[in-house]
Amino acid sequence: MSSPNEQFYIRYYSGHSGRFGHEFLEFDFRVVPGGCALARYANNSNYRNDSLIRKEMCVSALMIKEIKRIIKESEIMKEDDAKWPQKNKDGRQELEIRMGNEHISFETAKIGSLVDIQESADPEGLRVFYYLVQDLKAMVFSLIGLHFKIKPI
Amino acid sequence: MADMDVDMEAAPAASSKGAPVPVRSIEGWIVLVTNVHEEASEEDLNDLFAEYGEVQNLHLNLDRRTGYVKGYALAEYSTKEEARAAVDGINGKKLLDQTVAADFAFVRPPPGAVNGGNNSGGSAGRGRGNRGTAAGRRQRSTSPGKAEGGEE
Repeated sequence: MSSPNEQFYIRYYSGHSGRFGHEFLEFDFRVVPGGCALARYANNSNYRNDSLIRKEMCVSALMIKEIKRIIKESEIMKEDDAKWPQKNKDGRQELEIRMGNEHISFETAKIGSLVDIQESADPEGLRVFYYLVQDLKAMVFSLIGLHFKIKPI
Repeated sequence: MADMDVDMEAAPAASSKGAPVPVRSIEGWIVLVTNVHEEASEEDLNDLFAEYGEVQNLHLNLDRRTGYVKGYALAEYSTKEEARAAVDGINGKKLLDQTVAADFAFVRPPPGAVNGGNNSGGSAGRGRGNRGTAAGRRQRSTSPGKAEGGEE
């Protein structure tokens, strides 16, 4: 396994500008000295006068290890966004990962459904991206929910 | 967030000894278990966690592609004692033939880390409209740093 102090950074962004302003979701994890990772999460929409939600937390080394495992097993680091759909008026997604000596920085359009993937020029690669993002989002929502959310009664 | 900053100032440090200090979440203590077998069920995990205390919340996320368990589970306990017992008891244990690892999911940030992050990340969003930062402290029983394990 990789050393816990290996350089590690991941950022995901998905957003667009429209009727309700700049609506986006963004999160990142950055390993800081001491073996934990600082995680940030932001979610903005002006829909019905919602305002920016911003959260920060520090996750343990075991959590980082799990995130790295998920990334490695997805094999996203072998992909290339050259043939992925370009961002458009419906918005864009960005995924940046720095892990050890490897670095990727992808940008593509939002993916509405699996049809978008099948019709793209690189369905294999885009599928890897799509499912990795879904898995990461599920994890971040779990972490945010457990760390910050008050149980409804 | 403002309340996190408050915690940090009141609680200097992720320990001088080096081991990160677990931190309390809003309703309890969160334990992470990894290397969970892909065919494990929520019941398997509940049984595992329930040995160490009452599980308040359990997240067993699935792989979006395969539908099988992704490989990690998050459980919430009300007290630090229960969570500590779970971490110590579950770490290295076998579950469906796989040796799992366990630890707290959240730790106290090292000094300065969060403040630095805030500044570089743009502080435009601080102080959300509906929650005055002046009021500061959230519904947190005690600052986690004040008395080790004294939050229950």
